[in-house]
Amino acid sequence: MSGPGIGWYLIVAAILFGVGALGVMMRRSPLIVLLSLEIMLNAGNLTLIAFARQLGDLDGQIFALAVMAVAAAEVAIGLGLIVAMARRRLVLDVDQASALRG
Amino acid sequence: MIAGAWICLLAPLAGSLAITFAGQRISRRMAGWISTLTTFIAFGGALVAFFGLWATDPSDREQLSTAYTWLAAGDFEAGFQILVDPLSTVMMLIVSGVGGLIVWYSMGYMAGDDEERRYFAYMSLFVFAMLLLVEAGNFLLLLVGWGLVGLASYLLIGFWHKRPEAVAAAKKAFVMNAIGDATFALAAVLLIWETGTLEFFGVFEDVGSLSQTTVNLVALGLLGGAVAKSAQIPLHTWLPDAMEGPTPVSALIHAATMVTAGVYLLVRASPIFEAAPDIQHLAAILGAVTLLVAGLIALVQWDIKRVIAYSTMSQIGYMFMAAGIGAYGYAIFHLMTHAFFKALLFMSAGVVIHHLNGEQDMRRMGGLKGVLPRTHVAFLVGTLALVGIPPFAGFWSKDGILASALATGGSLGWTLYVAGLVGALLTGAYAFRLYYTVFRGQATEVEASRAHASHGEGPLSMLVPVGILTVLSTIGGLVVIPGVWHPLTEWIGETAEALVEPTAGQDYLTSAIAVALGLIGLYLARRAVFAGRQLVTNPGAWRVFEHKLYFDELYDALFYRPAAALSVALRREIEEPVIERSMNEIGSGTIQVGGEVARVQSGLLRTYTVAIAFAVCVLVVVFVAVR
Repeated sequence: MSGPGIGWYLIVAAILFGVGALGVMMRRSPLIVLLSLEIMLNAGNLTLIAFARQLGDLDGQIFALAVMAVAAAEVAIGLGLIVAMARRRLVLDVDQASALRG
Repeated sequence: MIAGAWICLLAPLAGSLAITFAGQRISRRMAGWISTLTTFIAFGGALVAFFGLWATDPSDREQLSTAYTWLAAGDFEAGFQILVDPLSTVMMLIVSGVGGLIVWYSMGYMAGDDEERRYFAYMSLFVFAMLLLVEAGNFLLLLVGWGLVGLASYLLIGFWHKRPEAVAAAKKAFVMNAIGDATFALAAVLLIWETGTLEFFGVFEDVGSLSQTTVNLVALGLLGGAVAKSAQIPLHTWLPDAMEGPTPVSALIHAATMVTAGVYLLVRASPIFEAAPDIQHLAAILGAVTLLVAGLIALVQWDIKRVIAYSTMSQIGYMFMAAGIGAYGYAIFHLMTHAFFKALLFMSAGVVIHHLNGEQDMRRMGGLKGVLPRTHVAFLVGTLALVGIPPFAGFWSKDGILASALATGGSLGWTLYVAGLVGALLTGAYAFRLYYTVFRGQATEVEASRAHASHGEGPLSMLVPVGILTVLSTIGGLVVIPGVWHPLTEWIGETAEALVEPTAGQDYLTSAIAVALGLIGLYLARRAVFAGRQLVTNPGAWRVFEHKLYFDELYDALFYRPAAALSVALRREIEEPVIERSMNEIGSGTIQVGGEVARVQSGLLRTYTVAIAFAVCVLVVVFVAVR
C-alpha cells in the first residue's frame, strides 16, 4: 500500500466537514448555504471511500455513489427554491425566511 | 319419546325465530298463527313424551338426552341435555298446553295492536324459556331457562313501551328476579365447588356427603331464586305491578310459566331441600305468610287484574307450603289446577276488559252477567275452582295440600294448617267480592259509554280457549280423588317421593272445613257487596292493605333512597372535584406547556443548525464517555 495513510484522508475530510458546517451556520445567502452543504456531503464521501480502500471493501464506494445521487437531488430542489425566491423578488437571506416560527 | 321432548322444546323457539326473521313479510295474523301452531306442536311433542314415558317400564322413567357438551372447563362439564321424567313431562304438558291456549286467545285480544308480530315473537320465546327450564337436565341449563324466563317477562310486561308505568313495572320485575337469579347462581357455583357437577342425579347423589352448612347454603340460594320467580314474600312486589302488561301476558305469567317455576324448582331439587329440612320448612312458612298477606291485600284492591294477581300469590303460597312439607305431588297437582283456573280467570277478565275497551277498575263495572253470559259462566267456574268448591278443580288440589299439612302434624304442621284454612276463608271472600262486584248488581254508566255494543263477547279465538279452560277447570281436579285413586300424585312421586301422605279421613275432614270456610267467605262477600259496604271496614286496616302492607315503601326507604343519596354524594364529592377537575387541569396544563415550548421554534434556520451541531457534539461526547 502506497501513498498517505488513512489518517490524512480523515483529517482532510474533518476539515472539509468543519468548513461546510461553519458555512451552513454562519452564512446568510441560501446559495452559499447550499454550497456548504455540498462540501459537508463530500467530506462524508471522502471518509467512506478512504475506509473502503483501507478495508478493501466496495460497500463504501457504493454508498458514496448513493450519497452523490441524493446530493444531486437535493441541489436540484434547493436551487429550484432559490430560483422561486428570486422570481418573487424576495430577499435572498435565510434569516428573513422565518415565516414558520412558532 | 325423547324426540317428542326435543320437539316440544324447540318448536316454540323455531316459532319465535321465524316471526323475528320474517319481519314484515308476513301478516300480523300469520305471526299469530305461527306462534299458536308452534306452541301446539310443542304440546303434541309433550303428549308423545308423556305417553312414551307412560309406556316405559317404571324403573326406566328417568331418561337423560344430551345433544352435545355445551361447556367444559377442567373436570367440570355441562351438556345441553334434557331430562324426561314424570315431573318434567307433566310440566311440559301444562306449560305448552295452557300456554298454547293463551297464545291462541291472544290472537283475538291483541288484534289491531300496532306491534302484534313483536308480541307473538316474545310469547313464543316465553314458552320456549319455560320449557327449557322444566326440561333442563342440569342446574346450569335450568339457570339459563330461569334467566330467559326473566328476560321474556321483562319484554312482555313492558310490551306497551310507550307507557311509563309499563316500563317501570318491567324494570321492577327484572330487578326483583335478578336478585333471585343471583342467589340461584351462587348456589350453583357452590355446588360446582363442592361436588364438581351440576347434573341433577350427580348432585343428588353427592348431597349426603356435604356438610350441613353447605347444603343449607345451597338450599337457601335455590329458595331465594324460587321466591323471586314465584313472587313470594319478601320478593313479591313485582307481581302486582306486572299487571301493566297485556292481559294474556298476565295469564301466561300467572298460569303456565314464570311463577310456577319456583314451585317446580322446589320439587325438582327436593333431595337438596330434604337434606336441609330447616330451609324446606322456611319455604313452607314463607308460603303460608304469603298466602295470608296476599289474601288480605286482595280484599281491598279495585283493579280487576290486581285482585287476580294477588290471588295468584296466595295460591302459589299454597304450593310452596306443599313443597315445603314434602307433599310434592299435591304441589304439582295444585300447580296444574291453578294453571287451568287462573288462566281461565285472567282470560275471562280479559274478555271483560276487552268488552269495556280497556277499563280495569271494578268500581266502574257491575251487572255484566246479562251482557256477557258466556263469560259470566266461565268466570264463575274459575271463581268456584279458585275458592275450592267441589267438584271444581281447585277443591281437590287445595284440600290435598291442607290435609298434608294436617298429616305432617307438630307445631309446624298445625300452624300451616290453620294458615291454610284462614287463607281458604280469605280466598272465598276476595274471589266472590270480585265476582259479585263485576257480574251482579247494577250496570254502571261507564259501561254503557265505553262498551262497544256490536262487539259481542269477542272473537272466536278468544271464546274457544276460554271454553276449553272452563271444561278443564271443572273436571281437571278429578285425577286425584282421595281414597279412590290418585294417579297424578303417584306419577310425581316417582320423581320426588312425598314425605307425607294424608289418610282419606284427614282429607275428608279437611275438605268439609275448607269448603265451609270458603262458603262463609262467599256469604260475607255477597252480603258486603249487595249492601254496598267494603269487606274491610276498619279504615286503618284498609289503608294498610291498600298500601300492600307498605312493602314498596319499605324497600324504597331501605334500598332505593340510600343508594340514590350515596350516588348524589359521590357525584358531588368525588366525581366533580376530583375526576372532572383533574381532567380539566391536565388539558389546560398541556396547552400552557405547549405555548411555552413553541417559543423555541424561532423560524431562524441558522439557529436550528447550531442547535443540531451542538446536540451532535454532546451525543458524541456522551457515547465516547460511556464507552
